[in-house]
Amino acid sequence: MSTVKINGKEVTVKDGTLILDAARDAGFEIPTFCYQADLMGVGSCRMCLVEIEGQKKLQPSCITPVLHGMSIHTETPTVMSARASMLEFLLANHALDCPVCDKGGECELQDMVYKYGPHKGRHAEPKFKFQEKDYVLSPVIIKNSNRCVQCMKCVRVCGEVVGANVLGALGRGDHQEETSFLRSFLDCDQDGNCIEVCPVGCFMRLPYRYKTRPWDLKGKDTVCPYCATGCRMVIEERDGIVIRAKAQLGVGLNSETLCARGRFGFDFINSPERLTKPLVKRFGTLEPASWEEALGVIKDNFIAAGKNIGGIASARLTDEELYLFQKLFRSMLGSPNIDSSARWAPEAVEGFIKATGMDEGGASAFDCMESDTVLITGTHLSDENPVTDYIVRRISAGRAMNLVIASPRAMKLDSSASQIVRHNAAAEGHLLDAVTLSVYGGNVDKLRDVPGINRIKDARQDDLAGKAGCSADDIKAIARKLTGEGSVGLFAGTEFLRYPGSIPGLALLKNALKALGKKVTIIPVLDRANQRGAWEMGVHPGFGPGYSPVKERGMGCADMLEAASSGELQALYVVQSDIVAMHPDENFVRGALSGLKFLVVQDCFMSETARLANVVLPASSFAEKDGILTNQEGRAQIIRKLLPPPVKAKRDIDIIRAVGETFDRSFGPKNPVLVLDEIRKEVGMYGEVSLAFNNKRNVDNKLDLKEALVKPAGLAEGLNASGLETKLEPKTDEHPFLLATGNHLFHSGRLSRKSPTLIGLLKNAIVEISAEDASALGLMNGDKVRIKGRYYEAYATLHTRSGSKGGVAFIAENYDDVPVNRFFRRGEGVPRVSITKA
Amino acid sequence: MFSDKAKEEIQQVLKKYPNRRSGVMDVLRIAQRERGGHLVKEDMEEIARILGMQTVEVNASAAFYTMYNVEKPVGKYHIQVCRNISCLLLGAENLIKHMERELNIRVGETTPDKKFTLSTVECLGSCGTAPMMQINDDYYENLTAEKIDKILKDLK
Repeated sequence: MSTVKINGKEVTVKDGTLILDAARDAGFEIPTFCYQADLMGVGSCRMCLVEIEGQKKLQPSCITPVLHGMSIHTETPTVMSARASMLEFLLANHALDCPVCDKGGECELQDMVYKYGPHKGRHAEPKFKFQEKDYVLSPVIIKNSNRCVQCMKCVRVCGEVVGANVLGALGRGDHQEETSFLRSFLDCDQDGNCIEVCPVGCFMRLPYRYKTRPWDLKGKDTVCPYCATGCRMVIEERDGIVIRAKAQLGVGLNSETLCARGRFGFDFINSPERLTKPLVKRFGTLEPASWEEALGVIKDNFIAAGKNIGGIASARLTDEELYLFQKLFRSMLGSPNIDSSARWAPEAVEGFIKATGMDEGGASAFDCMESDTVLITGTHLSDENPVTDYIVRRISAGRAMNLVIASPRAMKLDSSASQIVRHNAAAEGHLLDAVTLSVYGGNVDKLRDVPGINRIKDARQDDLAGKAGCSADDIKAIARKLTGEGSVGLFAGTEFLRYPGSIPGLALLKNALKALGKKVTIIPVLDRANQRGAWEMGVHPGFGPGYSPVKERGMGCADMLEAASSGELQALYVVQSDIVAMHPDENFVRGALSGLKFLVVQDCFMSETARLANVVLPASSFAEKDGILTNQEGRAQIIRKLLPPPVKAKRDIDIIRAVGETFDRSFGPKNPVLVLDEIRKEVGMYGEVSLAFNNKRNVDNKLDLKEALVKPAGLAEGLNASGLETKLEPKTDEHPFLLATGNHLFHSGRLSRKSPTLIGLLKNAIVEISAEDASALGLMNGDKVRIKGRYYEAYATLHTRSGSKGGVAFIAENYDDVPVNRFFRRGEGVPRVSITKA
Repeated sequence: MFSDKAKEEIQQVLKKYPNRRSGVMDVLRIAQRERGGHLVKEDMEEIARILGMQTVEVNASAAFYTMYNVEKPVGKYHIQVCRNISCLLLGAENLIKHMERELNIRVGETTPDKKFTLSTVECLGSCGTAPMMQINDDYYENLTAEKIDKILKDLK
């Protein structure tokens, strides 16, 4: 610890603390442009100069660490005049076009000149201009370099945090311009983090351009509705139209970063395609109806269906809504048939929850990253959960650790890894089994009694490695890292749910490492904002709220559809889930839904599923409701209502309650706050969870509030996780590629397809294969190709990725022009396809 | 695309560096010589591929130094006149004006016959022989207007 005096006030801080941080902690404000807590210091803007007794020259406080006994002054006349001089120089070439600048009103340069600056400039020379007109840098970024203050934050965030590294500083001195390669159009992640960190109006949002002044905006704190990273953001509206989403420094685990989906994908809220009134099917067509009529029809049909009814709710709803939904089914309609996903099998979900220890309470992603060895498996992290990718990149750059990435597809994060393993698609289980076997080999005594070890202990390492498609050396190297000094962190993604046969491998590795006395932190990496919340609220056929055991096991999505085809299930209530687009085998879903007597769909948009419904209810988006979302770590976070639902649409919680009230007037609780009270009472995991993790700017950049994590469920009984297997179509010469699915970097499910900006980034389907496979087939990046499976064929643009494992073709689940679920056939496993030039 | 000879030379210089990226300055120099005095987009893309860098990083390295001419073609003879303090005190300004008149171009321009480009640069480290200038790879020192006339005549 060092004790220093700042403006006469004595403070004791950790050795190596920057003077800037120490001063800010002590309550003294020091202005900065180039300093940002998450980025490496450069000390270039000189705004933070301070006076240190005994040193003749002023020192930049953002890169100077404290030394014991230092006496620092931050507000002397010398310091103040240095700040004013720096600003005078910055203004020498600054465009000063504030009246037409989007940043005007929230510009750091404006604020600082107002506060510290000279209010008169002495520079009479003509200003240097980089260009006459703003230039478009990408579909979402527009640039005006004349306003630049050369803080380099855009370049640093692009390289150090996002890892795209497509911005650089061209030229030098006052002619230095932060821009792309020869100012060319950017082909990058389009996440706009360069815009967010820009203190002035140099990098700007193109969709937001000239739409408003910041002081005319009304904002509310919320959480991004796309993936389950749980990024905090603020959405802002003007005249009822949401026009901006932004992140804030030091708020939420994402701090100032967001991905393209979060920053630009909010505009589906304003879509003219939103459903605004209830629709009831009359003589084969859906026609507008009143809420009373729609609810009446629902009541009559639900009564007729009796217990032969099922419900599927989206994993993007709030915890309160999901809790009420399961309550509606379990205690009002008397049916155990509910599910929160059209994609995953219920057993796989239970196995995954058990393997990742979600029932043991929340775990912080920062804790996981602080482990000495981190293994990322079963997820294409860079595309599926971009902000988790940023956090991993940032933390791994700053400390000595092993980062192992196991994935069939190459990803951006590979550049941060200390070991990259390319295994066969759908072979996560074989890989982890091989690793565990390697660990077992050296620790037979300690691991003899680990449950499940018998499954692999007599297997041959070569066999397992062969099935995984990696070398024995790779596997030994992973095993060595995992069993080496220190703790282990695991990021386990949705591939485990897609290929449930891999789950026992994950569970076994975790148990083996724990048996060796290791601290193991696992973060499940999920792709829907409230998937974890949906499970914890008990929207699952196999367990109730808080993973509690249920009396009667219900049917999951696939079983419900099966029962619908056979006429056994009569009615289905679908909330904001597009089963037709998401469930593997579209034809099967369509057939099954047409076998239903009654289908009610509650959604924001006329989805493929809604088109088949008897009643369609207009629901609301995340911007129109209050509630909490539980992210993948198990962190409960508040979302706040910014706007009322459009026209006659209602909040989902009100609709679910209204449906319940048609049966019993007392069905409730009546509003989200009361529902949350009931959740706190009924669900032990949420009893004491803190919701204080709100958008409060905290200067010390402490992003990790552990009280917001859910508590252990404390279950005596385990979850049912039997019969987990991965079924793949056999490989043939005719169809050499295994079809992998997931989310594209710019899209999440089908919701993001309603966002005009995200559609502008990527409209039509692409199929991705490895560069080696492509050249073997004589195909080039950007070629139009035909993808042919046994049951479906489609055309898409080819995207090649170098460094990926061969034999796997990736098509995201997001495209309406190539619905990837049409390649699947129920009961036949993961399909294989061929790719030829169209 | 670089010639085979240039490619071979690049591989040779890269041996000097434990990290390939560190060789960017040398490789840029070779590329600029190959192109005849300047660099174009394709050169930087090729260099990025060879060194495993991002194109913008190569661009930024090249744009930082005045010795690289990014997308700015120069004449057969690139005249770089020092305008720093020693040369300035000994009359560099007059020499620059003299050359502008002689070549009938302004600083930063190239003669219509693409023979001469005139630029001013910061200190070239030859203050003892000021005023001085560099034409392509050679230094011309202790300059006077007469000397310059002769140099230019010889080059013409």
